[in-house]
Amino acid sequence: MTKEYRLQHDWFPRPLPANVEIGPRSWLYSAFAFVHYQSRRSTGVRVGHDTGIYNGTFFDLGPEGKVTIGDYCTIVGAIIATNGRVEVGDYAFISHEVVIADHFAAIPPGKVPFRPPTAVGANICIGQNVWIGARAILLGETCIGDDAIVGAAAVVSGTVPPGAIVGGNPAKIIGDVKSSQRRI
Amino acid sequence: MESDIGHITGQWDYAELPDNVKIGPDCWIERKDSFASFRSEQDPGLVLGERVRVYTWTTFNVEPTGRIEVGSDSVLVGAVFMCNEKITVGQRVVISYNATIADSDFHPIDPDLRRQDAIANTPLGDRSTRPPIVSRAVTIEDDVWIGISAIVLKGVTIGRGARIGAGAVVTSDVPPGASVSGNPARLAVEANEGND
Repeated sequence: MTKEYRLQHDWFPRPLPANVEIGPRSWLYSAFAFVHYQSRRSTGVRVGHDTGIYNGTFFDLGPEGKVTIGDYCTIVGAIIATNGRVEVGDYAFISHEVVIADHFAAIPPGKVPFRPPTAVGANICIGQNVWIGARAILLGETCIGDDAIVGAAAVVSGTVPPGAIVGGNPAKIIGDVKSSQRRI
Repeated sequence: MESDIGHITGQWDYAELPDNVKIGPDCWIERKDSFASFRSEQDPGLVLGERVRVYTWTTFNVEPTGRIEVGSDSVLVGAVFMCNEKITVGQRVVISYNATIADSDFHPIDPDLRRQDAIANTPLGDRSTRPPIVSRAVTIEDDVWIGISAIVLKGVTIGRGARIGAGAVVTSDVPPGASVSGNPARLAVEANEGND
């Protein structure tokens, strides 16, 4: 476990949690991303090198939650709400207002006066070089193959094959990245 | 230092809220800015029951004629309320991230009236010349869970214990205990129903 530290550019007057690792040449907009963070794992969030995590991204992780983000990724405002594991491969591009969650009606971790809607242990994996469109929703046990594209506002719950383009609610395969290139 | 960020971490003085906001005991409201567009002139304009939790993304956009009531033990994560008349939320309701609940379309359908509306809404426009809009109250009964990024539109009643799927657009009533999803939201068919 590394030591707590403040981001130099941060407006939010709290340090990053000690179990968060940010790789070389990566950028995190603020420790505000961790305002609801409760992961107690030895590493709760690990970010690779040359990855940008921008305004509006939040890590609402429960005590068992763990997020691993690869190298050369761009995340411009996703909410990750889970008590399970989320893995994001290298070169991923995740657009605005995306929510990645272990339950369809996820809530941030913390005390609630009744059984909270969280699915413990759900894992979500996003392969390498995946592009996730604005407002898409990825739910528990989703696995997205390398090079796939998730269309804007798609609701994904399940497996997306490598190179597929999916869209809609619920998401369906609407193309693949190779044949779309030929058409253009 | 902590007190400087209290208004976005729930450690602020809720007595600063307008007099027509009534908050029950042990409520927790993370972000003061949730009330930035609260313009209700009703009394009360907003009622929160006991132990209601209001997270960062919740916004109470309430017009002067609007009223919102939220029952005890409900959790508002990212509930974007857009209220012109009346939105009622029951007890133990969960409204997840980025969900929108609106009791009006806030603009007319007729194209000529929409031109008039556009002019009235310009920065220097006269809002009193806005054409009338239609609103119909929304009711969300006890124990309902509203999924991520769902949208609930005017006139809808969601029955007790219903489940609204992520990304659903709810345009008509949902029976008690039902699960709906999609756009427009339809009753979800259980995967194993055909085997019964």
